[in-house]
Amino acid sequence: MLILGIETSTQQSSVTIGSEQGIVGSCLISRGATHGEFLLPAIQFLLTQSGLRFSNISGVAVGLGPGLFTGMRVGVATAKTIAQALGAPIVGVPSLDLLAYDVRYSERLICPVIDAKRSEVFYALYRQVPGGVTRITDYQVGVPTRVVGEVEGRGLDVLFVGNGALLYRSTLEDVERSDFGALANAFPRATSLVELALPRFFREDFDRLYEVEPLYMRRSDAEINWERRTRA
Amino acid sequence: MFEDDATETRPQESGLDSREQELLVLGIETSCDETSVAILSGSNNLLGQVISSSSDLHQRFGGVVPEVASRAHVQAINPAISEALRLSGVAASDLDAVAVTVGPGLVGSLVVGVAAAKSLSAVLEVPLVGVNHLEAHLYANFLEIADLPLPALGLIVSGGHTMLVNMVDHGIYEVVGQTLDDAAGEAFDKVGRLLGLEFPGGPAIEREAAAGDPGAIAFPRAMKKEGFDFSFSGLKTAVFNYVSKAETAGQALNIPDICASFQEAVAEVLVYKTMRAAMQLEVPTIFLCGGVAANGRLRVLLSEACDANGVFLSIPAPVFCTDNAAMVACCGYYRFIRGIRSDLDVNPDPNLPLA
Ligand SMILES: [Zn+2]
Repeated sequence: MLILGIETSTQQSSVTIGSEQGIVGSCLISRGATHGEFLLPAIQFLLTQSGLRFSNISGVAVGLGPGLFTGMRVGVATAKTIAQALGAPIVGVPSLDLLAYDVRYSERLICPVIDAKRSEVFYALYRQVPGGVTRITDYQVGVPTRVVGEVEGRGLDVLFVGNGALLYRSTLEDVERSDFGALANAFPRATSLVELALPRFFREDFDRLYEVEPLYMRRSDAEINWERRTRA
Repeated sequence: MFEDDATETRPQESGLDSREQELLVLGIETSCDETSVAILSGSNNLLGQVISSSSDLHQRFGGVVPEVASRAHVQAINPAISEALRLSGVAASDLDAVAVTVGPGLVGSLVVGVAAAKSLSAVLEVPLVGVNHLEAHLYANFLEIADLPLPALGLIVSGGHTMLVNMVDHGIYEVVGQTLDDAAGEAFDKVGRLLGLEFPGGPAIEREAAAGDPGAIAFPRAMKKEGFDFSFSGLKTAVFNYVSKAETAGQALNIPDICASFQEAVAEVLVYKTMRAAMQLEVPTIFLCGGVAANGRLRVLLSEACDANGVFLSIPAPVFCTDNAAMVACCGYYRFIRGIRSDLDVNPDPNLPLA
């Protein structure tokens, strides 16, 4: 079953075509082209190089974020419209899950951290289970010191992974017995997305096309300010 | 790259062949707070259109909030595509081209429509045609009368734009004048908000003005005699000053009179400059378009002036004045038959110039 994966929730855009037999091809870029400039030409490149056509794609998987608002929207709108035009099923996966899955062989507490700008990060905690990882907290947004507090409270060895972990390494290093993921794991990737989504396609555990939405985790500034004003 | 002009070819002398008359173009418009998808057969046979507005969500903020509009587009675009196809009785596989607004507009809104359009174009293996939103507003006129004569002088008035443009021929534009500060529709919104009217301000002010005296207050006619550019911030300030003066003096505000007088000042300047430009450029036809073209007073004053001067005036139906995908599909059709295509790496341009 050939799955097209699209992940554009950070400054890295990536697309992958893969099946249960392995990854057919993957493209990624972290600077220069915008998400929208990169996406369709990259997908067409993969299709051409692999001798495939859109009609060979059985399902579309998309990284939902949290992350960059515009990047998430480009990825989600593209994935939904491709699925719609193909009449193919769609599966959305939170991007923090992808980062945690990338380091699933670690027995440490796994904490993917994505830069949320404004001195905050998106994060969640996971632990290893047979075949992957399981999430043990909600998806959260907060300052890095809050991540430190939450992880320290558990008194476990921890592995931080993701661009937020690299960016706030000096703060997160306050956690005793902490370790940091590799540069290769700085951004959520479409290869992990395809791998994580495949079992859901096999189970026919699809998402409803019209209900797939980015995981914003934050309201717009206008809404936050408006509520602040009306409460005052 | 927006387009490759080198690939542009003029239509054959013999006119359109039968295939061109039956081309099915799907248009997508997401430049502001309307998510719209339309399917057009040939140049002006509208088979179906969906317009989904997030206007209600912006109401409490008194203006369009870009982040709120962008989120609404992501929710609305796919149902709109399905519904437009269903209304048209057209299968996606029957489409010949996908046209999409690539600018000007709110960048976060534009990217959603452009992403969807590229996806359709790639999967359906049909050409993508990027369209300028202002050019599309001019083409709203061609939806009703396919063989409108050119050149024509277009007055594009909306919440985001106020522009006089000479449409010399299809695809050939000369900007004659534009606003130096607020767009006309923006002035309506700001004055409406000041007077406690609901958003958007245009329809609300027009409703109030119906019971008012347009000659009650002598608001300024900014830059009426100078060139073809517009300025509405001075007029807006004059309304603000009038209101604060009246409030300081403890006088009750006559909202209908203020609305009627303000509306008259805007309409008069727009009509005066448009007519003077038409006379000076010797252009016998005027296109009125954009959201503010729905304003009844502007329509009446411009019609009277055109009648008096022997100028032919085209005004689209209100649904084609405000943002809609039919005009995008129409503009896309004319670009398509001239051989214009966009690449799949086209990036929306929030400041895309018309000429
Ligand atoms: Zn418009």
